Amino acid sequence: MHLFAQDLVNGILAGGILAVVALGFSLVWGIMNIINLAHGAFLMLGAYLTYQLFASFHVDPFLSLPISFVVLFALGYLIQTYLINWVARAPILTIFLLTFGLSLLMVNIALIVWTGDQRGVTTAYSGANFTIADVTVPWTKLFTLLAALAITGIMQLWLTRSKTGRAIRATSMDIGAAQLSGVRVAHIYAIVYGLGAGLAGVAGTLISLSYAVNPGMGDPFLIKAFVVCVLGGLGSVEGALIGGLVYGIVEAFATQLDFTIGTQHISGSGLQDAIALVVLLIVLIVRPTGIMGKATA
Amino acid sequence: MQLRPIAALGALILAAGLAAPSGPAAAAGDTIVFGSPVSLTGSLTKEGHLTQEGYELWKNYVNAHGGIKVGGKTYNVDIKYYDDESKNDTSAQLAERLIDQDHVNFLLGPYGSGTSFTVAQIAERKKIPMVEGNGAAEKIFNQGFKYTFGVLSPARRYLEGILQMTKAQKPPAQTVGITAASDAFSQEVAQGAAAWANANGMKVVYNNKYPDTATDVSSIISALKATNPDVILNAGHLQDALLVQKGLKEQNVMAKAYGYSVGPDTPDFASSLGKDANDVFGGAQWSDAVKYKGAPGFYQTAQEYAKAIDAAYHHRADYHNAESTAACLAFQYAIQKAGSLDTEKVRDALAKLDVTTFYGIIKFDSRGINLYKPMVVNQIQNGRLTTVWPALTADGKPKYPAPPWGQR
Amino acid sequence: MTTTAVLRRIGLGGITGSPIAIAVALALMVVLLAVPFGHNGYLEIVFRNILMYAAMAYGWNLIGGYTGYVSFGQVAFFGAGAYCSAVLSAHGIDNLFADVALACVVNALFAIVVGLPVLRLKGHYFAIATLGIALALSDIVANLDALGASSGLAVHHVDEAHFYVYYYAMWLVALATILGTYFIARSKLGFAFVAIRENEEAAAVLGIDATRYKITAWAISAMMAGAAGAVFAPANGFLDPSIAFSVDSNVFPIVMAILGGAGTVAGPFIGALILAGANELLQRYFIKIHTLFFGAMIVIVVLILPRGLVWLFGLKGGARTWLKSLTAYKA
Repeated sequence: MHLFAQDLVNGILAGGILAVVALGFSLVWGIMNIINLAHGAFLMLGAYLTYQLFASFHVDPFLSLPISFVVLFALGYLIQTYLINWVARAPILTIFLLTFGLSLLMVNIALIVWTGDQRGVTTAYSGANFTIADVTVPWTKLFTLLAALAITGIMQLWLTRSKTGRAIRATSMDIGAAQLSGVRVAHIYAIVYGLGAGLAGVAGTLISLSYAVNPGMGDPFLIKAFVVCVLGGLGSVEGALIGGLVYGIVEAFATQLDFTIGTQHISGSGLQDAIALVVLLIVLIVRPTGIMGKATA
Repeated sequence: MQLRPIAALGALILAAGLAAPSGPAAAAGDTIVFGSPVSLTGSLTKEGHLTQEGYELWKNYVNAHGGIKVGGKTYNVDIKYYDDESKNDTSAQLAERLIDQDHVNFLLGPYGSGTSFTVAQIAERKKIPMVEGNGAAEKIFNQGFKYTFGVLSPARRYLEGILQMTKAQKPPAQTVGITAASDAFSQEVAQGAAAWANANGMKVVYNNKYPDTATDVSSIISALKATNPDVILNAGHLQDALLVQKGLKEQNVMAKAYGYSVGPDTPDFASSLGKDANDVFGGAQWSDAVKYKGAPGFYQTAQEYAKAIDAAYHHRADYHNAESTAACLAFQYAIQKAGSLDTEKVRDALAKLDVTTFYGIIKFDSRGINLYKPMVVNQIQNGRLTTVWPALTADGKPKYPAPPWGQR
Repeated sequence: MTTTAVLRRIGLGGITGSPIAIAVALALMVVLLAVPFGHNGYLEIVFRNILMYAAMAYGWNLIGGYTGYVSFGQVAFFGAGAYCSAVLSAHGIDNLFADVALACVVNALFAIVVGLPVLRLKGHYFAIATLGIALALSDIVANLDALGASSGLAVHHVDEAHFYVYYYAMWLVALATILGTYFIARSKLGFAFVAIRENEEAAAVLGIDATRYKITAWAISAMMAGAAGAVFAPANGFLDPSIAFSVDSNVFPIVMAILGGAGTVAGPFIGALILAGANELLQRYFIKIHTLFFGAMIVIVVLILPRGLVWLFGLKGGARTWLKSLTAYKA
């Protein structure tokens, strides 16, 4: 029973981070129809930025959240305006390829700048924890989850209440009509892509607290972002959150599966990715547009 | 202007470039050329660089000291590198390129068991001897390969020393919990540790694996914590060692000893974790405390070697450095003994090699792996790597049991 | 001028793509027959890998380029084909024909079983489902002791003197995928695929049984990738999940097909040749920063040739049209 509760907590804490990773990816994909393979690289840059600020100026990682967001937002805005926009009307796959190339560029620039050494952000409070009813909760991960919830909430409010947010949603629904009513689509797209990069940067900052920082660190998270955003429903803010939590919890419980068939030992923790992916496939077959997706594609 | 001629021209340049040999031709005049595909980018970049440093240090030493004498003639050495991007499937092509395009005389191993296995296949087919110091999975040596030699102790030995050491403490450790990454090397390490524990009266209370791509191991740690082992072992790589060590603290998992197959020996472990890295044990192929007196022709003691690494690369000598250098030394002594650069003669000399170096004994069994050199156990004590086992080579006493988190 | 008008004027369009490009591709294939005569194992491996990537790119092209169902999981079929060879080899059967035949049968069945539910998904959701299948399969194999789990299997292979056999086997597989694509593209099948890509509902109105054609496309594409895998495994001599289901084998064929020209007959081959060749050269001359240049190269090609390299061949009016059309894709 206690392990059950602990796993639930582990799953929710891990899922919160995945939700932030997937959020920016989901917005870019859902609104602009771009499968952004550079998302993992943005995440990595956010983590390095946090590491560098921490190592050189002792800036607390949580304080560097807004810095990561602003810097990566600017980078994303520029990339969309000067590179992606150039081929905006080419087939979707062309842009997919462009983001692949950009990702390779950024990862290898990071390799030159920071080398392949594993870096860590270990603060004075890192690893501090408290225990309630036999369930141990690390403070950093709890704050990471709270930050994730806050970010999701702010994004949802901003998208539904602000003028720019409404313009973004209008553009995603009907680009022609939005243009007619005076929305500057190129600018809106640059903002959305910037948001995607900025959110990836924020995710990178949060991840640097528990995961080793290195140039290739974005890859496993990128793949999880794929799954999480489809699990929840593309382009949906609350979908990313729910998808992240579902993914985290499924993985946590999968870890405890442990049995043997014949001579074949089945280890749930070795198969945690496969189990999460099978859950994804089942969800998609039952609900082809994700848990929170609209009924029709 | 038509674009088609441009396309044709581009294709021609491409074809010409592919067919052109690069670098110096083998044994052109007075140089012996070695080739090695190592991980210069990708997930094993750090380990790949340490490997390359070990090779380069040897090359520079030999060239500065007059080269290698082969049957009355002296040769300088050169090493040709390519980047395998830390991927098992790229090393095959690179090994072929080194042999057929660059005409290297011999191969030095890549970093990692998967890549070493792939290159071993090519070495075998091409009948080019390879000595490797960074692929410890015994599977490589159970294929009947005749041209592949490993200077390092096999994977199953990596964590044995830590278990021996904890069992020798008073009161002796009785239970073990093991977590392991799912790759071939880590699995062999974990199986070896579990087998040793079972054979020596220790109880394995937890033994499970996680995917190489794991981004969160907290649930594995929760399950491990529930079994309350005396000794916690991890068989993995630097990246997941960091993840596990942070996770253990976050869930306040108290064991008497924490041991890693890979991690504590690399400077990144202590620099990333700070105080949380203290009192952790690492199984190592070598440390700068070992007390061998090597044959002449290279630095003869571990201490001289460590000084040279520090002077050249400004960090503490790591066992990845040493085992890579040892691979080069195996070639150096075998070539001298063979008195020839002929691949068959050098292969036979390698098979019969029995030499002591700063790194320990280099001698291969019939399968080509070095079973004659013991592993050592290091512990991070106050941020410094100290060799604590076996007692004969130790430069410090193990700190056991580990104090609670926060008091390290 | 609208984008479509630009495309028509410069000679793109049509279901097979530029006939000149096809002729060039086939001529290059004939030239590639000569590679083993150079007795250079390295070049043999380089071009064998190019042929392998080309075969996989054709597999992807059929479902992603022609039918418009972008799959991110073709490596599942490559890996399944490779493991077919490994299993046969473990049972003492070392015969390339048997390997390829088994891989094709297994993959066709695999594609049909998985395709029935998955091909109901559209667009992004289909893409992710296929990625999920590939990743899950890789994970499952890594945990199956019978398949060597993560430490892999040694696959018996021939000696150095007969190594060229794998080269020609891969050449045949690649040729079969090129010709297969050409004849499919010109047949009723090809028209049905393109009709589904352009508008699935309208295709249904025309009496095209979309489900049947989609599954056909996917099964054929699975066989193409599987055949390549079946030849690759014994040629490589060693197979583990990280090799059989590598990210490169998943991403490269897609990148090659798009860079060469998705939905054309010559595109994937030309893409594979240029991309793998350039990668090889960069790797050789820029040892530490080759991936950086590789990334830069992709970015530049996409920006100056957004419809793929095949475009160079079909172009009417030369460089001037090209320069004019450069801004055609700007938002």
